[in-house]
Amino acid sequence: MSSNNWKRILLDKGTSPLFLTPALIIFLVLLVGPFVYMVSLSFTDLSFSQPGRDGNFLGFANYRKLMRDDPIFWESFLTTIKFVFAAVGLEFLFGLGLALLLFHLIRGQRFIVTLILMPMMMAPVAIGLMWKLLLNGEFGMLTYYLRKIALMAPQTAPLSSYKLVLWTMVVIDVWEWTPFVTLVILAGLMSLPREPFEAAIMDGASPLRVFWDVTLPLLRPIIALVMLLRGIDAFKEFDKVFILTGGGPGTATELLSIYTWRINFRNWDFGYGSVVAFMVYLVVLIMCSVFYKGITWKRGIEELRA
Amino acid sequence: MKGFTVTTNKKWFHTSTIVCGLAIMVLIVYGQAQAWDLKEAAKPYKGDTIRTIGEALPPLEALDKIKTKFTELTGIKVVVEQYAHEEAVDKVMLDLNARTGRYDFIIQPHRELGRFAENKHVVPLERFMNDPKLKDPDFHPEKELYVNLWKEISWYAGKPYGFPFTAITMFLWYRVDLVNDPKERAGFKAKFGYDLKAPQNWKEYKDMAQWFTRPDKGFYGTAIQGKRHVALWYEWLNFLYSFGGDVLEADKGYKYGPIIINSPEGIASLDYYKGLLKYSPSDTLNYDWDGAMAAMQQARIFECIMWNDATYAVEDPKQSTVAGRMGFGMVPQGKGGKVGQVEGWTYLIPRYSKHKEAAYLFIQWALKYPNQLEQHLNGGASPRPDVYAHPHVKKLTYSQAAMDTNSAALPKATFPESPQMTDIIVLALSDALAGKKSSKEALDWAALEIHKLLGDKAPLKYPVK
Repeated sequence: MSSNNWKRILLDKGTSPLFLTPALIIFLVLLVGPFVYMVSLSFTDLSFSQPGRDGNFLGFANYRKLMRDDPIFWESFLTTIKFVFAAVGLEFLFGLGLALLLFHLIRGQRFIVTLILMPMMMAPVAIGLMWKLLLNGEFGMLTYYLRKIALMAPQTAPLSSYKLVLWTMVVIDVWEWTPFVTLVILAGLMSLPREPFEAAIMDGASPLRVFWDVTLPLLRPIIALVMLLRGIDAFKEFDKVFILTGGGPGTATELLSIYTWRINFRNWDFGYGSVVAFMVYLVVLIMCSVFYKGITWKRGIEELRA
Repeated sequence: MKGFTVTTNKKWFHTSTIVCGLAIMVLIVYGQAQAWDLKEAAKPYKGDTIRTIGEALPPLEALDKIKTKFTELTGIKVVVEQYAHEEAVDKVMLDLNARTGRYDFIIQPHRELGRFAENKHVVPLERFMNDPKLKDPDFHPEKELYVNLWKEISWYAGKPYGFPFTAITMFLWYRVDLVNDPKERAGFKAKFGYDLKAPQNWKEYKDMAQWFTRPDKGFYGTAIQGKRHVALWYEWLNFLYSFGGDVLEADKGYKYGPIIINSPEGIASLDYYKGLLKYSPSDTLNYDWDGAMAAMQQARIFECIMWNDATYAVEDPKQSTVAGRMGFGMVPQGKGGKVGQVEGWTYLIPRYSKHKEAAYLFIQWALKYPNQLEQHLNGGASPRPDVYAHPHVKKLTYSQAAMDTNSAALPKATFPESPQMTDIIVLALSDALAGKKSSKEALDWAALEIHKLLGDKAPLKYPVK
């Protein structure tokens, strides 16, 4: 019997689900299970620190507290939104610009791409510590030059200033992740078909017009994908902020991830902490569906036309 | 010869009975003392390995150095895990709740004691202290330790749960070489009208901070531990207590009481504390204890309020550029008198420990005078007053300040909600330092949040509008 026939028999006998089982088990145990457990905890008062709070059922009390009586959560939510929009927006702009530049710069492209990928390859903790030194108020090299060119007042330190600190975090994130955006968009540019570009040029379109009407629409799924990945990642940002500021000064850099950590692992309040974590999940889910729409939007229009 | 009868020799008989009784008692006590021997007591546990965890600082490093002597004596191996402050606390919390019994004894800050004791994660020590097989008759904690400190950091609701690992307080660090510099003295006197010396009160502390602030030379009067971190709370408590304020009106750490954090004294202390920002390095709001200590070790500040278990590091020429040029004293005096805040790390035995008895033997051994002396001289902060009387310890420049503060240190909350209360206060202080809120707004907010956390157990003494 030929191997093709064997394959057919195996499939016909319903063995394919058997091969899927290990992956399904891993998915259920490592993703679905913990998620369901987290949601179930969010209806309880479980706390590691308070005696008597052993996971008694509370109904929606934790959710009500979050909605009505937790201004710090909402402040933190707003801070996170600011951070995500600013960081991902700038990463997209710089990433697209760099990718276009590299795409047209044929010579030395590989070397430059390798070079600019370096920040992305570093461990977040190492990045945090490196920037901590660079931005030190007394002997930080960057602080010194920023003061030298009068971009910063002499007694100001970027990580201690309530006004500057969030934007400093944005700058560090942009520095770390722009290479990733560049790489993905560059890969997208390389995979685009030549014909639409040739047709546009033959029709006499200016380079700006080609970019606007041909390059960008063709890149849309790639851009949506990279923005989705970066958006999710930025929303969960923790390491750098934890190392550099611990969420302060005040609540200036208290992103939702830091707040969630504080409730769960400083206060050991897992009941309420689960609600906060669930909200983070919900926001990421909404973000995913919005970007997924962005990816599939063009395909949908085409299918409609067909 | 007249026959011996009780009646005829009544006096002699009584005397000899008393003498014999006393002799028997002495023999029993002496015999017991002789009978108890660590090696014998540890025999059943020979070959066991006991594991502990604590903060990676000189006191624990010193314990790590002397532990081999215990192993040589008893055959019990001791493993000491050292982590940064918060990591050491988190790991213990997870281990206790997971009930794995990884640690046979733990060394933890006493602010955590309430939640360990109330959740029955740790066992009271009475059963070991009263067990003749384990109790060293030569060890008398009630006489040999700072009793107030022991009761504050290792007792909860009237029961002993542990023994102090360290007697840690915060006190004044200043540059004595600058105080003695004739040029500085003359300049200071001309400006402020009194002699430059170790600051005794908060006015002098601020005057000196102002005098030594020279940003063009990268030198500042002081540094505050302004990062949003537990260090901020610890440091500010010194100011709060010294200004005559407190967080709650309660005489014991495990007791609740009216909230007084937003009292006029509390607000004044925070106003003063904020006022020190202008005499501190520009990134002082990103300093925890390590940041402030590094600023002193690098000779970038004149004075600060710092921990006594870090003094060893600032006086070590291998780690510090100012070793031998430092002065130490009690926290400057305010309306609340000469006070300090005590924060001991305490030995505790988890309920899930698999080698409780061996752990108790080690703790008891570690607290004996020769071991405490050795640990102290290697960077410890002994809870035994007799250690501070040793000539070698007396020679340490910070011994007097440590002793003075130990005897005047005020307690802090240890009930189970205390870490959450601390978190609230840290945020309020950080908001105030960042300029987001005034001192009153920040402390009023903290008072309300603490009231929400503790409910009727802690009413507001100073109502918030």
